[in-house]
Order: sequence, then structure tokens, then C-alpha cells
Amino acid sequence: MQQAATGKKTETETSLRVHVSLLDQLMTLAGELVLSRNQLLQSMSSEDHRGAEIAGQRIDLITSELQEAIMLTRMQSIGNVFNKFPRVVRDLSQSLGKKVDLQLEGKDVELDKTIIEAIGDPLTHLVRNAVDHGIELPETRRGAGKNPLGKVVLKAYHEAGQVNIEISDDGKGLNGQVLAQKALDKGLISEDQAKVMSDKERTNLIFLPGFSTAEKVTDVSGRGVGMDVVKTNLDRLGGIIDIDSEPGKGSTIRIKLPLTLAIIPCQIVMTGHERYAIPQVNLEELLRIPADQVKDRIERVGDAEVVRLRGNLLPLIKLAEVIDTESIFIDPKTGRNRGDRRKSLADRRSKKSPLFKDDDFDASPNQTTQAKSADTVLRQAKERRYHAASALNIVVVSTGAMKYGLVVDALHDSEEIVVKPLGRDLKKCKGYAGATIMGDGRVALILDVANLAQMAGLTSIEGSSRAAEVAHANLQAIREQKDRQSLLVFRSAENEQFAAPLNVVERIEKIKATDIETVGGRRVIRYRGNSLPLFSVDEVARVKPIADVEDLLVIVFIICGKEIGLLAIGPVDAIEFSLDVDGLTLKQPGIMGSAIINDHTTLMVDVYEIVQTLNPQWFENMTAATNPNGETAKILFAEDSNFFRNQVKSYMEDEGYQVIEAEDGAIAWELLQKHADEISLVVTDIEMPNMNGFELTRRIKGAPAYAHLPVIALTTLAGEEDIEKGRQAGISDYQIKLDREKLIRSIYGFLTSMQAAGS
Amino acid sequence: MASRTIEMATFYVGKALCGMDILKVQEINKLMDMTTVPQAPDYVMGILNLRGQIVTIIDLGKKIDLGATEMNDMSRNIIVNSKDEYIGLLVSRISDVVEADLDKVEPPPANIGGVQGKFFKGVFKTKARLIGILDVEKVLENDK
Repeated sequence: MQQAATGKKTETETSLRVHVSLLDQLMTLAGELVLSRNQLLQSMSSEDHRGAEIAGQRIDLITSELQEAIMLTRMQSIGNVFNKFPRVVRDLSQSLGKKVDLQLEGKDVELDKTIIEAIGDPLTHLVRNAVDHGIELPETRRGAGKNPLGKVVLKAYHEAGQVNIEISDDGKGLNGQVLAQKALDKGLISEDQAKVMSDKERTNLIFLPGFSTAEKVTDVSGRGVGMDVVKTNLDRLGGIIDIDSEPGKGSTIRIKLPLTLAIIPCQIVMTGHERYAIPQVNLEELLRIPADQVKDRIERVGDAEVVRLRGNLLPLIKLAEVIDTESIFIDPKTGRNRGDRRKSLADRRSKKSPLFKDDDFDASPNQTTQAKSADTVLRQAKERRYHAASALNIVVVSTGAMKYGLVVDALHDSEEIVVKPLGRDLKKCKGYAGATIMGDGRVALILDVANLAQMAGLTSIEGSSRAAEVAHANLQAIREQKDRQSLLVFRSAENEQFAAPLNVVERIEKIKATDIETVGGRRVIRYRGNSLPLFSVDEVARVKPIADVEDLLVIVFIICGKEIGLLAIGPVDAIEFSLDVDGLTLKQPGIMGSAIINDHTTLMVDVYEIVQTLNPQWFENMTAATNPNGETAKILFAEDSNFFRNQVKSYMEDEGYQVIEAEDGAIAWELLQKHADEISLVVTDIEMPNMNGFELTRRIKGAPAYAHLPVIALTTLAGEEDIEKGRQAGISDYQIKLDREKLIRSIYGFLTSMQAAGS
Repeated sequence: MASRTIEMATFYVGKALCGMDILKVQEINKLMDMTTVPQAPDYVMGILNLRGQIVTIIDLGKKIDLGATEMNDMSRNIIVNSKDEYIGLLVSRISDVVEADLDKVEPPPANIGGVQGKFFKGVFKTKARLIGILDVEKVLENDK
């Protein structure tokens, strides 16, 4: 039956149906092309440059339209392929004694004729597979509580310029463990790899060559044996395939295909002196890391380099290294190309921040403290690490199963290119999927993103030990991020460094010392028609007085709705700091504590406290909210860091609240149960040992006795995912740890509204 | 009995004089701008655009183990068509077109001037020189 169908198929392929309107459109375009060509020839022979330019532009437009129209003539609806499947499924399910209902969606989706033809066999295999190996016998299904009628859905739709085809069934699904064991038995993977694989990776093992889970290979599942053949066929079409499965529930196979084979949109990049093309089907996003951020954002995990992208770690591959060519960067001084001698992407020799201009702050111990010679300054200026030209250009690509970043020298435009096959001598170069001819006549190679990953040892299967490391480091990075605080680092005297939380800083102004006026014993400066009161840390704390220089900086804060400026001198820097704050040693009024930042002891300024000391009249009496009994409210506060716990507790106690403190979520939970009636509100950190903030919140919200309690979560940097996660857990509000005013306001708000609601 | 003759294009690969059936020659070009293919076999010099077709350029000297061909003004690319593919052979210098009397063509010895006999279909002696007639398909074979 199969053979006869094939024979018939090849005969009908020599012609196709095209709508007459499309042919009319082609005629019109051809006519316009002729006209523009005549114009161009005329302009060229009379050396009319402007005319030639105009004609050229016109021809550009017409060519694009023509290309599109011709492409459309070759488009056929996928329904042509889909339509034979109901019959296939009916016959198959009957012969197997199964009951299967086939649903087709997206029959009108159109694909290039060549792809339609090539996709028939792989799809048949997949559909047959779903019925044969996916859907269980009716008795088995009934026994599992499922509808004895199995469902297979075949869906096609357009997305992001590609055609997606999904085959899903509600059958028995794939068991990742079984697959991994099978692959292990067949020697396709190693034990270590099997151990660290994710469930999705295990499921995708069926695409490995030599794999077949059927007990006996039935000839029912299509001509080509094995999913690996399906994958190979799809690879040839420039498509990607992956599978998602839940044991007992079913599986979904997703195929992504380009719209046409011959012409594909690509991102052009440059490495060495050559251009390469990356097919858009593989392109996720483009990322540029400025030179001064390279040190911070590029990290090492084992022997791999990774970049942090929106909270996740992305493995990086340098294209120049994988294909063994030279990497070029543009020397900022001469504008010429120079070989990039950086061995690793982030040269970690110097920890200096590029914003620090002052020589005294050189971290290198070899530097003497005398003023730097002009030479050193010049040398430092030349350090290309800090020049924009040394930025990293990363193309984030996906191979279906995994994502990674490809580091290239430069990014060029996105172009539609004609794919040309490479000669047989080059077939062995797995890194290339073909070649194309660029506008200037030169040849560019098209990169095979999946193979490049394999060549760099990065596939989830080959580099799984690295993947596990990356995943681990990922988790740590996220945890660390939570404890990182954004700080503004500045000075008010030579060799004395201070830091203040960045989130309370409004802006920084440059002023001249001579602009400062003294009014009623206080320093002010005229600013935008108003007087901005100024203060310096030495007015409250025992620190050196502000340096006697002409150029000063004013860091403007807003406290109690009023602006106040803190005098400082440069350099200033904004950093993210993993807080290791000593809240005891150097604590004094106005100073929260100290930390070592860039090898210097830095005093953490408590702006609020300073202003309170200097201008107590500013502080309206925001009396502490009371509980229904008329007593001041009690707040349960969970925070594992000693420094933060003491600091934030003092904020709340200063307002008059009583605080019951806990070192972690588990202790907080116990205390809650002990003091249930007294507690009106909960403030909690997120990252804590034993029980984290999310878990604590969930428990609180899950217990009828406590569910009414507002929960305020404290964080240092709140990412979108965290906020969403928090909302789902039941967190009422997110506050920054060192933003005293907002926290107090939030507490007050919740407590008073609860009172009003008469809880 | 008319003796059959074939016309051969002759060229130098290093110091060795080789020839091939002129009917196999698509065209002969000067060296053009090539795109290097990193990680390609070392005898592949690169690929170039020939009126819309991608042509792989192979250093003939390297391929038949005679060493790298020096690229200068005299070197040329001989474009041949092999199995539906265009391949360019980089040679040191083009020589004359020679008419070879098929009767006079002798089988190749095991070794001609350092080149293995398998690459040749035969040898042809002219008054002054010995021309090795290349078996192009054999030369282009990749048995790895």
C-alpha cells in the first residue's frame, strides 16, 4: 500500500495550483521591473547618478515584492498533508483495537511546497507513533481513570515567522527514567550524564540515533524506523523538534519550521575578518555587555564562562574559539583592527571600578601613595578593558532543547539570504549549515547552531556535568542576588569612604563651595528657587569634617517628603554589594555599621537617623498604629541576617511598635503560634535557612487563624519573578530592606486599614 | 586507422607537469577573493562566489601530497565540475594545450616525481617533457 502511494505521489508533484490573482500580481510586478530596469539602464548610460539611485531603489522594492509573490505561488496549505491522517488514524486504531479520536487544527496554514512534501513522512511517523505507542488500550485507559477514547491533536500555527506543528496525545506519556536507562544500556550516554540530566533532556533522548523504545519494532509506525530519522529529516529542512511528556498524562511533540527552504532570514555577524550568518529560526536575542560591566556579568563556572541574563546563567561560547579563527577588536585609538589577545572573556586582573578616577584608590598594593606620574595615568587610560570597543557582543541562540550565548566580534544587519549547499569536502565541517552570497559578492558561511554547541562540548548531553555546575551556580547566584544591596559609595574627606542605600537617593548635584550660604546656623544652597538644606556626616557622627575643596557634590535625599542634601566629594560610584555589614564595631549615631568595599573600610550612613537628629521638627507624629485593644501593635519580624534584623527592628521600635523577632522562618512560625492573639502584622525576609519567606507566607495564609495577617516581605532587589511568586504565595507588600520611611508607611497603612475594616 | 587524440590542458603543480582532459575544464580563473572556512581540511583554501555558485577551492599541490602551492601572479584556479559540484583546483602555472596521441599514453608508474601513481590515468611523453595525466575524480576523492 505504501509503495503505490509513493508512486502516485511523485507524478502529481510536477504541477501545482495557483490562484489567478497571484499570477496577475506577478505580471504587474514583472511589468514594473521592466520599467525600472529601463530607467536604470538609461541613467547609467547618461551617467545620471541621481536617476540611477532612484531606479535602484525602485528595483529594490520590486524585487522584494516579486520574491514574496513567487514564494506565495509555491505555498500550499498544510491541510493537504493533514487530510490523509484521519484515515491513517482510523485504520491504525482499528487494527490495534484502540479507540482514537484525531483532531486537526490549522489546516489553512501554508508552507512552501518542498517542505510540505518533505514533512509528510516524518509527520506520518509521529502520528502513527502517537497511536501505536502513546494511546493505551481502552481497558488500560479505563483502569487509569481516563476516557477510553484516546485523543490525538495535530495542530499547525504561525509564530514568530515560523510554522509550528504540534502533535499531542493524552496517552501514557514517556518515562524519563526508563528512557535514560535504555540509553545507558545501549551505551548512548554515560552514567554521569544520566544522573545529571533534567527530565526534559531525558525525554528528548528518543531523538538519539540508535534508539527505539518499542519492545519489538512494528512496521506499523511508519517507514523510517526511529525518531532519529524524523529528526534528521527535519534538520535537513532547517527545522527543530522537541518533546514534552508527562508519564500517564501524554506527550506533545513540537516542530518548528522555516517558511521556505531556499531563502531564510538571518542575523549577520562578524568574527575574525569574516562574516557569518545565523538563521533567525535559532535566534533568541542580541545582547551587548559594555566594557565596564564585563567583569561583573561574566562569571566562571568550572571551565565554562557564563553570563547572567535576567536571573539565569547562560553558557557562553566564543565563535572564534569553536571554529578556530582569530578574534578581532577595533583599537579605540587607532581605529584599526587588532587581534584580541584576551584569553578569557572577563580579564579579572583589576578590581578597580572605571568610575574611580582618584589614584589613591588603586587597589594594587604595588602602587606607591605618591601622586601618579603622567605615564601611569596614560597607561591606565589606554587600558582597553574599559573602552566601549571592548564590549562583548553576544548572540543568544537556541537549538530547541537548549539556549546559549555565542560571542562574536561585531553584529551586522539582519538579512534574507539564499541558502547554498557547501561542497562535499566541507560536509565534514559540522559547524556550517551552508553558505550564502552577500550583497558585495563575497561568500558568508551559515552557522549550524546546534552543532557548534556540540563542538564546544556544550550539549546538555555532552556537557551535562557542566550543566549541573551551571545550574548549581545559578541557584547560588540567585540566592546571592537577594542579599545584594545597591549602594552609593562616596567620600566627605580624603581616605574616608561612606555608603548609603541607593534607593533613597534622588539625585546628585555638583556645586561650588562658595555657593553654600549659612542661614540661621544651618547650611543651605539656593536650588531651583528654593533653599535646599545641607548637612554633612560629621555634624552627627565622629568623622572627619567635609574636605575644604572648591568642587563639592550634593547627594539629595527625600526624607519625610522634604529634600535634603548631603555634602560629599567625589568620586562616587554605584555598586551592588553582597552585604557583609558589621553592625557593631563602628556603630555610632548616624552610622549603621561598616563594611569593606573595594578594600576600604566604608561607613554605612543612616541618613534617616542623621536628619532626625538635626531636624527633629520635621518628623510629624505618625503615632504607632494600635491594635483593637488599644495597645501598640505587635509585629512579628523574621530575618536571618543579624545586621538587618537589628536595623529594621530599630526602625519599627522607634515608631513605637513592639517587635517579636525571629532568626528564620521556622522560628517565626513557632512564635506566631505562641503569640497568635497578640500579633497584628508580619514582616519577613525572603531568603532564610530552614524556612524561607515564601513558605512562611504560604503557611500563614493557609491557616484560617492567621490568614488575615498582612505580610510584608523585605528584599534587597526585587525581580519580577520574585514579586509574582510572592503575590501568589500571598505576600501583601514588598519593601526594600533599608528604606525605612516606606516600610513604616506600609506598616501603618495596613494596620490602620485593618482597624477601619473592624477586624 | 586514425589515432585517437585528446586535447589536454597542462599545468604545473609545483615542479610537476600535469595534464587533464580539456573537456573536463569548465574555466580557468585568476585568483579571486576567497572566504576562508575555518576548520575545513587543510587542502581547502576557501570558497568563492562564481556567478552565484559556491565553489570550493582546493590546493591541488596539497591534495596530491606535493606540498602547498605558492600563490603568486602565475597561479590559477582550474574550475572543474565533479559530481554536480564546482570545485576549483589551485595550480602554480598554466602551460600549453597539448594534443596527446592516445596510443602513446603509457600507464603510470607507482611514483611520479613524488606523487603517488594512483592519481594519474597515465603518462605522456612529449619531445621535452613528461606529462602526468590526472585522474580528476581520484584526486578529488575523500576516503576518510
